[in-house]
Amino acid sequence: MSEEKMVSLNTIDDQLIKKAADEGIETMWDRKKAMKAPCGFGEKGVCCRICGMGPCRVSPVAGKGAQKGICGATADTIVARNFARMVAAGTASHSDHARDIAHVLHMASRDGNYQVQDEKKLIALAQEWEVPTEGRDIYDVAHEVAEIALNEFGKPFGTLRFPDRAPAPRRKIWEELNIMPRAIDREIATIMHSTHMGCTSDAESLLRLSMRTSLANGWGGSMLGTELSDIVFGTSTPRMTEANLGVLEEKQVNILLHGHDPCLSEMIVAAAQDPEMIKLTEEVGAEGINLAGMCCTGNEVTMRHGVKIAGTFYQQELAVLTGAIEAVIVDVQCIFPSLAPITDCYHTKFITTSPKAKITGATHIEFNEEKALESAKVIVREAIENYKNRKQDKVFIPQSKAQAITGYSNEAVIKQLDRVVNSNIDPQGTVKPLADVIKAGVLRGAAGIVGCNNIKTKHEYSHIEIMKKLIANDVIVVTTGCAAQAAAKAGLLSKDAIKLAGKGLQAVCELVDIPPVIHLGSCVDNTRIIRLVSAVSEHLGVDNSDLPVVGVAPEWMSEKAVAIGTYVVSSGIDVFLGITPPVTGSPEFVDLLTNKIEDMTGAKFFIDENPLTLADKILERIEEKRTKLEARLAKEIDYGVIKPEEEVEETKELA
Amino acid sequence: MNLFQTVYNGSNVALNAAEGLLKQAIKEKGKDHNVAFPDTAYSLPIIYAATGLKMATLADLEGAIGVVKSLIVEEPRLEPALNAGLATAVSAEIIEAIKYALNDAPYEAPCVGHISDATIRALGVPLVTGDIPGVAVVLGKCPDSETAGKVIKDYQSKGLLTFLVGEVIDQAIEANVKMGLELRVIPLGYDVTSVIHVVSVAIRASLIFGGVEPGNLEEHLAYTKKRVPAFVNAFGPLSELVVSAGAGAIALGFPVITDQIVTEVPTLLLTQKDFDKIPATSLEARNIKIKVTEIDIPVGFAAAFEGERVRKDN
Ligand code: SF4
Ligand code: SF4
Repeated sequence: MSEEKMVSLNTIDDQLIKKAADEGIETMWDRKKAMKAPCGFGEKGVCCRICGMGPCRVSPVAGKGAQKGICGATADTIVARNFARMVAAGTASHSDHARDIAHVLHMASRDGNYQVQDEKKLIALAQEWEVPTEGRDIYDVAHEVAEIALNEFGKPFGTLRFPDRAPAPRRKIWEELNIMPRAIDREIATIMHSTHMGCTSDAESLLRLSMRTSLANGWGGSMLGTELSDIVFGTSTPRMTEANLGVLEEKQVNILLHGHDPCLSEMIVAAAQDPEMIKLTEEVGAEGINLAGMCCTGNEVTMRHGVKIAGTFYQQELAVLTGAIEAVIVDVQCIFPSLAPITDCYHTKFITTSPKAKITGATHIEFNEEKALESAKVIVREAIENYKNRKQDKVFIPQSKAQAITGYSNEAVIKQLDRVVNSNIDPQGTVKPLADVIKAGVLRGAAGIVGCNNIKTKHEYSHIEIMKKLIANDVIVVTTGCAAQAAAKAGLLSKDAIKLAGKGLQAVCELVDIPPVIHLGSCVDNTRIIRLVSAVSEHLGVDNSDLPVVGVAPEWMSEKAVAIGTYVVSSGIDVFLGITPPVTGSPEFVDLLTNKIEDMTGAKFFIDENPLTLADKILERIEEKRTKLEARLAKEIDYGVIKPEEEVEETKELA
Repeated sequence: MNLFQTVYNGSNVALNAAEGLLKQAIKEKGKDHNVAFPDTAYSLPIIYAATGLKMATLADLEGAIGVVKSLIVEEPRLEPALNAGLATAVSAEIIEAIKYALNDAPYEAPCVGHISDATIRALGVPLVTGDIPGVAVVLGKCPDSETAGKVIKDYQSKGLLTFLVGEVIDQAIEANVKMGLELRVIPLGYDVTSVIHVVSVAIRASLIFGGVEPGNLEEHLAYTKKRVPAFVNAFGPLSELVVSAGAGAIALGFPVITDQIVTEVPTLLLTQKDFDKIPATSLEARNIKIKVTEIDIPVGFAAAFEGERVRKDN
């Protein structure tokens, strides 16, 4: 019990974990216990099983035990290869997600299920890609843009298009390091090739390959995901929502939307509003359909529709344990296969929809994008009809939820910034106000706090502690993924949270009318962050690595997080990790990540599992970068200030 | 130099000046020498509002120096920077008070220096009704008298109350700006520190009309921010002292608009190099809306001219 108390910040979680124990249901905490101590070789990244001569495990201590694999691979090679494959997997996940959205854009039509919702954004992208728009049907433009997007995955020559959006000094660095990403799939394949037995055996080369692949994610797949989702589903604007398991409704059909792909969840949202479905709901005696999101698909629909947030990654099993969910509808990524046995203990239907993520024991209803709305209705019908099977005696909905504002796309952020622009001085629609407050020091810096939950640490403790510490020190926080949902649950996404901020951030929040922690979306939407940072860099005429800006993944767990961290560092932004990645078996590779990489990119990784000291390091680094930036910008600003001699004169005069 | 450090430097300049002047005054007159501004029930209004303490003698001012020192905490954050701005305001008030302690009439025409309670009470009603839509503090030196005249007359024509500090006073005279309380243009003094006499007006508004307790600094700042629609135009090269005084204005809720290149802070500290746009920029920054439409006649026409006697030679 005492161990269970440690799991999270939420007492409601503890209550549900106790419910699981009472009902004899196994959760991740039980499986963690069964796992005993993790294998030290895997933990340090020095286990290799990529060929039939292995598995090989080498000693993480130099000069002691097996120093090399059968093929002669050193700890450095093995660690770097494993790391590279994590980056490749993460990039593959984000990119395949984006590919689906590109396909959906390609099938969009005026009277179809998928339409172009943000024409302005489509036209802007078309112009960026030199697709003619004048006098053309918007859908012709859409289809051409979609085709170009799809070609980004496998074009035979050249490099990706979106890196052109990075500040010029950044692009130069990528070119010099030879890490300008080519086609997205190609970079993933190259990693799989280079990490095959008997290929690259040089830690630094493997890191560079990882960087290039990660850039194919951040400035490729993920950026396409965000951009195209906005075009098809609309660019989000600020809206209110609620978060935590208390959003589940006793008298409604509760549908948990879990996964990542908005192509599905958007249609579920539409289906849930369909008169036919509403009628069916009445027939089964429910008061309505209550959609609740989880993980990134939850973020996508909360950003665009204000759909409530049921919880974060680690709460997926707990959500089912409430006994109040009619269906868990999932697509891809971050879905516990354990949801199959857990849902079996209740009336809950566990419905998989993607051929990319079938799960044994789940009900598979394949989502057909060609007939998207029909297909979504079939799935929603399953949920509604299941309402009557709910076992009331097993229902326990914890009464806890918090208010949150979500929906801050970059466009929405800039619109907020326009509020403080003096129309007699500056044009609207730029990041100048943000650049100004950072330059002046009113905001000390900005932090993107992103990533998952991880059973290795107390859930959400790190997210929340770090956010609080940073905002109290006048560092504005933007957030995505499960970190954003943690913030929502903790009330940090509400304007009430302004009182927790330092005076500088407080002033900014009041003037701009925003909360101190800003929800920018899902994990692919981390590309919003790198674009925002790049826009500020360009405005100030510096590179990203010159800005007092950091990325933080306090409780990361997935390979996607590894890919994100790597593209963020490659983009010139320091990354602070609250969970140690499996690299410590190679001091050389650790040195590359936490030290040498700075010479290449101007940014590096910091690793510290104590969130409090990690937060201190973040603030220290921000001030370090500020000092350099201020010195650099000082040349431009002298306040027309009087020279020291004159100052003396003035003092005399005063005296 | 970063913005906050500039503020701290300026605050220290003001502190040193105040300390030096106080020492000298004590040497000349002794610690028990009286300090007071004429025609006010609020002693040294800024110190009184901030601390609740009335200053009677030069010895009391030594205590006030301690207040200044406690307000200067050199940390790179907005809050201490604004406090340092307030420290400069207190230093300036000490300096101005000593001027009055050492001299029966430290200000002579055209400058008015300290403003009496009676005047503030008279200004109260038009400020509340919006008849005086705003308070402009024009400080420093414009590129030429013509520009100065244009800016000030613009404020005058809109019915704003304008205070002048520094060389801009001479420029205004040269540009033939009509001055006086009834004309809503008031030259305060040539030293930067004389700007404190307008701060004193704002603070006494909080004490008199706002009924805010002396000593409750935070409430006073909230009052001035909300109720006193003032802004500052700082023209010409800015010394660190002026930047620091500007931080004090911002602490009171008054934006600073300057023609110099500075580290801008949206809505609070702005650069406007085009003098034709200075008034519009300032009014927008302070969110001042002019009630009456301007009447397009060759001479400035507004309430500010109500008190003007048409002399024969006009
Ligand atoms: S690649 Fe080398 S280290 Fe890896 S399993 Fe094969 S022999 Fe062992
Ligand atoms: S933040 Fe991590 S756990 Fe959450 S959805 Fe993204 S990858 Fe999955």
